[in-house]
Amino acid sequence: MADRCPYLEYRRESGGKRFETERAYCTAAEAFVQPMRADVCNDRYGLGHATDCEIFLEAEAGTDAGRD
Amino acid sequence: MAYDDYLDGKPVIVTAALTGGVHGKEAHPNLPETPAEIGDAAAACEAAGASIVHLHARRDNGERAFDAERFQAVTDAVRERADDVIVQHSTGGTGVPTDLRAQPLRTDPAPETASLDMGPLNRYDRLTSENTRATVRTLRGEMRERGIKPELEVFNDGHLNEALRIVDDLAEPPYLNLIFGPGTLSLPHPRSLLTLVESLPAGAEFNVLGFGRHQLPLTTLSVLLGGHVRVGLEDNLYYRRGELAESNAQLVERAVRIAETLGRPVASPAEAREIIKI
Ligand code: SF4
Repeated sequence: MADRCPYLEYRRESGGKRFETERAYCTAAEAFVQPMRADVCNDRYGLGHATDCEIFLEAEAGTDAGRD
Repeated sequence: MAYDDYLDGKPVIVTAALTGGVHGKEAHPNLPETPAEIGDAAAACEAAGASIVHLHARRDNGERAFDAERFQAVTDAVRERADDVIVQHSTGGTGVPTDLRAQPLRTDPAPETASLDMGPLNRYDRLTSENTRATVRTLRGEMRERGIKPELEVFNDGHLNEALRIVDDLAEPPYLNLIFGPGTLSLPHPRSLLTLVESLPAGAEFNVLGFGRHQLPLTTLSVLLGGHVRVGLEDNLYYRRGELAESNAQLVERAVRIAETLGRPVASPAEAREIIKI
């Protein structure tokens, strides 16, 4: 398992929102991520994007890899 | 009886939940995240009438922090800026090991009070904040060692059962936070609040937390039932439908106005210490 979600990026700006510090951004949901969910995105504390994030699982189900 | 407390004009404790551990500036640009922002918000809320501030810590990018060092920075910032406000640290933390959740109890000075979650709470689609009895016991033990008053977080009716299991071991008076909202929280309706209040142990002090649009009506009902209120951007981002609240202090000001209009004065921090015995 990767040590963070492949859909995770850190951005300062998107969709009209702008921040002083780069924040967790989900390229699958195309939105900034809530701080609590960011721990899932980063696989912290035993949480894991591949098991604990419904957005990841839905995004993967929509790819060829996810259909195997 | 609780209604008698209303009739007697017992002071209302207003708790301001400034930040929380779920959403951040992506949800509200004025939600305080850095120690300085949290300190400023605490001072503004105290000036508006809050006697307790409920604190979480965040990293610089808004993500959750649980280490004692970051909580120390937050609590120092609050104590520098506020006058006498009571500091309450959260020990909540969905998915986070118990030892990390105990870290906020290890600041110097220790918080006067801390939250203690009484049972499980679902989050998103696949997460649960478990709060096993073992976790509760561990956190409660450390609070006892450090002289920290627990605020028992009753997310739903079943958690009142859990609170009643341990209530005899707690210093008087037991202090409970009754929580209403979606999902695994108590149904957000006045009848749920009435039922819970009727079932509280004798002598208990209770606080009411309503999520989102339930914050205003249920905290107002709490004032009439002799309870206390918790408001703030952790639990509710809006002042009214479609209009974001300006700040935590704006929500505190409204709670104070309602309490005073209904005939209950707002407790100073010293009075709050006397009421919940800390
Ligand atoms: S929200 Fe889910 S899919 Fe998006 S980056 Fe985080 S873990 Fe990945």
